[in-house]
Amino acid sequence: MTVEEADMRSSSRGDLRALSRWISAIGILPVLLTVLILGMCIIDPRFSGVANVTNILRNASVLAIVAFGQALVLIAGGFDLSVGAIVALASEIAAVTMRWAGTAFPEQDALIIALGVGAALGTGILVGLVNGICVAVLRISGFIATLGSMSVTLGIALIITNGIPVYGLPQSFITQFGRARWFEFPSAAYVAIAILLVLAFVQRRTVLGRYLYAIGGNSEAAIVSGISTRRYQIAAYVISGLLAAVTGLLLTALVGSGQASFGGDLMMLQSIAAAVIGGVSLHGGVGRFGMVALSAIFLSILSNALNLLRVDSRIQPIFIGVILICAVALDEIRRRRTVHD
Amino acid sequence: MTDREASMSAPSPAALAGRIHVSPVQLILPAGVVILFTGFALADHRVMSSANLINILQQTSFLFLFAMAQTIVIIGRGFDLSLGPTASMVSVGSALAMAVLGTGHAGEPVIVLAGLAAGAVLGALVGVFNGSVVGFLRVTPFVVTLGSFNIATGIATTLSGGHPVQGMPELFFQLLSTGTMLGLPAPVVIAIAVGLVIHFVLRRTVFGRGLYLIGTNARAAEVAGVPIRLILMSAYILSSVLTALGAMILTARTGSGEPSIGGTLSLQSAAAAIVGGASFSGGSGSAGTALLGSLFIIVLSNGMNLVQISGYVQMIVLGVIVVAGVLLDRLRAQRS
Repeated sequence: MTVEEADMRSSSRGDLRALSRWISAIGILPVLLTVLILGMCIIDPRFSGVANVTNILRNASVLAIVAFGQALVLIAGGFDLSVGAIVALASEIAAVTMRWAGTAFPEQDALIIALGVGAALGTGILVGLVNGICVAVLRISGFIATLGSMSVTLGIALIITNGIPVYGLPQSFITQFGRARWFEFPSAAYVAIAILLVLAFVQRRTVLGRYLYAIGGNSEAAIVSGISTRRYQIAAYVISGLLAAVTGLLLTALVGSGQASFGGDLMMLQSIAAAVIGGVSLHGGVGRFGMVALSAIFLSILSNALNLLRVDSRIQPIFIGVILICAVALDEIRRRRTVHD
Repeated sequence: MTDREASMSAPSPAALAGRIHVSPVQLILPAGVVILFTGFALADHRVMSSANLINILQQTSFLFLFAMAQTIVIIGRGFDLSLGPTASMVSVGSALAMAVLGTGHAGEPVIVLAGLAAGAVLGALVGVFNGSVVGFLRVTPFVVTLGSFNIATGIATTLSGGHPVQGMPELFFQLLSTGTMLGLPAPVVIAIAVGLVIHFVLRRTVFGRGLYLIGTNARAAEVAGVPIRLILMSAYILSSVLTALGAMILTARTGSGEPSIGGTLSLQSAAAAIVGGASFSGGSGSAGTALLGSLFIIVLSNGMNLVQISGYVQMIVLGVIVVAGVLLDRLRAQRS
């Protein structure tokens, strides 16, 4: 940022150039988001209704949490294709555990929920750990390691339940958490904001945050500076797995059952799209969590808007594809310009 | 990744010769195929039946075409996530072209030719798009093809309305599926012919050699005056046209143009390519490795089907195999 700001001050090459620099400094995303929101408010009054805003916030929060984990791994120079599968497995493990605990400890909702949540988070951490070890210790590329673990994780999720939704969750888990609204906002939004705050703190103020950027930016330089790259790479995958499990829990509580269909390719591809549109570089070392959150909101509003405008759901992926490529191409052009300057 | 790069950054004639030389490690995969096949044959006598052997050959032919398409871009240090949706789009597009022409007075050969041309053009368009964004704008292949993944998915489902497209002429099925030559089914004959052509193109042409050099060391390629953009563009076009061919053969086999035909093909083709011996660090892989990888995966899944291992367990096995295959690849890289 500071380099670009300094550039802006020293540049004296006409207003248009300055404008394009300003946009490339803050990114095109906030501009697009503002235009989209204002446009939709004018076109369709349903857009700003309470029900619709709640809906958008829920979707955006769920997407943002997975995308945060994905972004963390991308920043560290990796790749996590397994997030969708982890969402699915965590959801099922939570549901199966709660169903079992419900018969073992009837009427003790707090204990039942704690066991279910613990089991789901443990699942996420475990898969993340396996990913991290494959990448950092066995030195398999992140893409392949997580492609493999995606297949394995989804396979396990489907075996556990044969693909049938798991019911039998405590009602309080669904009504007081999953579908609850606190001070008008859906519960998922609070979870997402809390995670965002923690990650922003980690990124700016902790050794872990700085080292992850260093490793992703230039892994050889990081090794030469004495950073134990293995430990931090593993940490990135573990956190990503943990966040995917949180998403699995949120979806389980919202829908009221554990389902293998929560995850899958779509969730994984969307998390990458959200991270990349939010300015996280696939080359590693670059990305801000605030922008990832903004990008998740943008994608959620976009798909909501396309639905409200009755754009055929089959055409919708085309919009997302075009926007994704434009965002990344712009990012690439900006990167090359700063390198040349 | 990085140490692999370092070891690959100086391609000497000796290293190139080493690629042709067969080391013991390179025999692991062929041996694996033989052992797997023998094991399954002992476990279930149906594995050796001629119907099943033909079945294995056919299935391998389909996957081989897609694995080759994926291998070609992987050699240039790229990746094609849009391969599956491209296959879906071509399947629907070519079927639709034939169905529409079929309502007129055109003869069957004309209709089939038009259908094949429509499929090839659709495939080539995806290749032009991917190749130009990767080559000229230098955007990471993963993101470019994630974008075109979405676009092609949208087009495939929109064109078809979500339903299978039917009404192709009989000649289409004969040509690409039911016909035989020298006792071999049409898909097998086509796969063999295309495999030989691709082998020649990769090994003996300026394009092929340039592609390996770009994948091994892009900067060296640039300094050496290799037209990087043109070659990358051609690689993506060639890859998508191969995908289109595979998609049309699958269409002929299933009997209708299906928007879901691509399904998990993107990742499956990548798994076959990588297990066979192509590397995401670029510069390695060939028609031979694509064939080996496809054969391995098909023998494995065919055997597991026959001995009635559940599809879910098969997913787990496949995941482990992919990771193990790459570990093997690292071993190979360290030896050479």
